[in-house]
Amino acid sequence: MTLSRSAGSRVMTVMDREDERPLVARLRAGETGAFDDVYDAYRSRVFAFLLRMSQSRTVAEDLIDEVWLRLVRHASSLRPDTRMGPWLFTVARNLYWTYRRDWLVEEAFAPDLLTLWPSPPAWPSPFDLAAAGELERRVEMALSTLPPQYREVLLLVAREGLTPTDAAAVCAITPEALRQRLARARAALAQKLEETPAVATLKRGYAT
Amino acid sequence: MTFDDNLNDHVLAAVANLRTHDVSQRHTDRLRRRCHVVLLAEPGRNLAVDRKHRAPVGRVIGQVLGGAWCLAYLVEIILRAAAAL
Repeated sequence: MTLSRSAGSRVMTVMDREDERPLVARLRAGETGAFDDVYDAYRSRVFAFLLRMSQSRTVAEDLIDEVWLRLVRHASSLRPDTRMGPWLFTVARNLYWTYRRDWLVEEAFAPDLLTLWPSPPAWPSPFDLAAAGELERRVEMALSTLPPQYREVLLLVAREGLTPTDAAAVCAITPEALRQRLARARAALAQKLEETPAVATLKRGYAT
Repeated sequence: MTFDDNLNDHVLAAVANLRTHDVSQRHTDRLRRRCHVVLLAEPGRNLAVDRKHRAPVGRVIGQVLGGAWCLAYLVEIILRAAAAL
């Protein structure tokens, strides 16, 4: 299991493909130790992805529960060549979009009822922003204003280190469509950052 | 823009360097225990599936026994009717 991060560029491989095969075999056999290995390797990554997509800690906590419960419910039917990262992010993404669709329907048909229901606290919260550095704060805020289709490709490729092919499979689009969407998402994020004086800081901070 | 260009891009690098987040330790432990329970219960669910696959055999046996009983009843009626004549 490797995890590497370098300044400027980052290639992240939580589990190598060869490491995953025996792990998936153990998981299919119902070994709790195998589950723990996957859980510890991916829990925070999948949760951070859901948090940035849903922009609500409460919603992300509900969705992360369902992601892991789905894994154990389907453990015996996993294919031997299943790759855990793409599998987990696919489930997480699908759960997010299902949640979002339901939420939009509720908002469209019962807006009055929604005002009676306490809305979940927004994310990033003032506490999260205070804990982050200036640069990170700006990036988080800019990212949170992007459409979710842009946000997900940026997070999957740039933050989680998925290859364009894997990220395309997670998003159920072709690799070429993903490349185009990633380019548009990157341009949109850059524009959002240009609207604040952060871009100069960005260039100083990350240019190699 | 190629994928390698993306990795060297300062905007994407800023996204790459965002901090990670996690659920609370209490939530983590609770979810882990819950998943262990479901994972360990998996063979039980497979048994239930096996039982479901075996169900047609049980139904066939039941139908055969029912048919045999009806046949015996019919034969008995015919024999008694024949004896009465």
